[in-house]
Amino acid sequence: MKEHLEQCMQAIVDGDAGRAAELAGLSLERGYPVLEVIENGFARGIREVGRLWEEGELFLPELVVGAEAMKKALEVLGPALESSAGGGGRRGRGGRSGRGGSVVIGTIEGDIHDIGKTLVATMLSANGFEVTDLGADVPVKRFVEEAERSGADWIAVSALLTTTMPGQKRVIDELRARSLDGKIRVMIGGAPCSAEWAAEIGADGYAGDAVAAVALARRTAG
Amino acid sequence: MNGFLAALAQRVLLFDGGMGSMLIAAGLGEGEPPEAWNLARPEVLQDIHRRYLEAGADVIQTNTFGANEVKLASSWRGAPPDMEEVNARGVSAARNALEEYGSPGRFVAGEIGPTGEFFAPMGTLTAERARAAFRAQAAALERCGVDLFLIETMYDMREALEAVRAVREVSGKPVVCELTMERKKRGFFTLVGDSPAAAGEALPAAGADVIGANCSVTSAEMIALAAEMRALTPAPLIFQPNAGQPEMTGGRPVYRQTPAEFAADMLAVARAGANALGGCCGTTPEFIAALRARLDAGR
Repeated sequence: MKEHLEQCMQAIVDGDAGRAAELAGLSLERGYPVLEVIENGFARGIREVGRLWEEGELFLPELVVGAEAMKKALEVLGPALESSAGGGGRRGRGGRSGRGGSVVIGTIEGDIHDIGKTLVATMLSANGFEVTDLGADVPVKRFVEEAERSGADWIAVSALLTTTMPGQKRVIDELRARSLDGKIRVMIGGAPCSAEWAAEIGADGYAGDAVAAVALARRTAG
Repeated sequence: MNGFLAALAQRVLLFDGGMGSMLIAAGLGEGEPPEAWNLARPEVLQDIHRRYLEAGADVIQTNTFGANEVKLASSWRGAPPDMEEVNARGVSAARNALEEYGSPGRFVAGEIGPTGEFFAPMGTLTAERARAAFRAQAAALERCGVDLFLIETMYDMREALEAVRAVREVSGKPVVCELTMERKKRGFFTLVGDSPAAAGEALPAAGADVIGANCSVTSAEMIALAAEMRALTPAPLIFQPNAGQPEMTGGRPVYRQTPAEFAADMLAVARAGANALGGCCGTTPEFIAALRARLDAGR
């Protein structure tokens, strides 16, 4: 089992989606506890990828293939997770078939930069969050309506232009206008954003990159 | 020898500063691509070019950063415009400004930016698609009579190389190629992990005459990057950093760095071995004028 978990972790670090899916299938065949396989195998791999990325040892391509491999593993393990539901207080990572938390994400209206946003969505999804990606150039109301409709825990708003950053504030204003602030949290990101800007507009957090976004969502999930 | 390369061999050349932030200040709408003004408000572009020339820029950069077919298809709202016309109008705004101001020893650089798409595994861009888009834009710029080409803000060297090769296919004019790099714990890298050493090898080999970096980092960080690249390559080097990082105050972006601070750092970049200098996001004619003064004074 211990060796198996190591292999699971390594498949993610190597970004080997085929191997990750194979190991996930093997976990089920052998009847290993699914949550443990995720937590101490695959999820440990994605955390290691994140760490190596922050260290500057890995770059965007490796981060993406690692997240893709994670997704593949979770696809295989998903049905087994559903049936072993209850989940027992896992902190919203990998477990509880997405009920670690749900996130509605998009790039704010007027802004078509969606590379960073897509990466954050991929990493959140790879880490077990249920993610609704609204794409780029998303109107303020659309964020709020989709989050309210789906009962999301978070709205993640990306802005890559100093001219479109004020849209992030308007999302928060819209939540307040509908008395949804406090129920739905808002995280912001994008090159010109900062923790100071998040504080100024009353966002619940700022994530400088995909790894930080996962950490932020996890800290308050579940 | 081409006039630009001859001038570069003699002195440190000064490129201009930011265009996008100037257009925003002039009223460019939210979500409106800067190139839209090539068609709608060319007189504003010409005026910005003139201000950079008055500030002392030797090279002005056309407002054609996002004017390749792939980028125009995603940035334009509604049906994309005629690619050739966007480039032609961008070049004529710069050329008119230069002729009005007086052109000896000054040059128009035809600017080429990234497609905005990614190669695998992040995206679906192919080398052929990138090459074709850059070739078409470069051919359009060449027909309009730019003095040199400036490929910039490239976050993936594969795409930068396609752009350099595309220009080489259609023009014998000088090619400047700048990657955009961030400082990580192990040094400077592009988003996908290209190092200065890799850039120093591959870009000149593909046909770039001048290589360097722009955007992303501050002028202070550029000093270290310039020194690192100087030790790696004999190629002429160019650096165009941002005016520090923007901070939002009262809902508006504010660049805290002053022109004097920028100029002092950039003089150090020149001393570290740069052959050409300029500014990127947030820099204005005031920044270029401050740098011009320091360069002319030699301290």
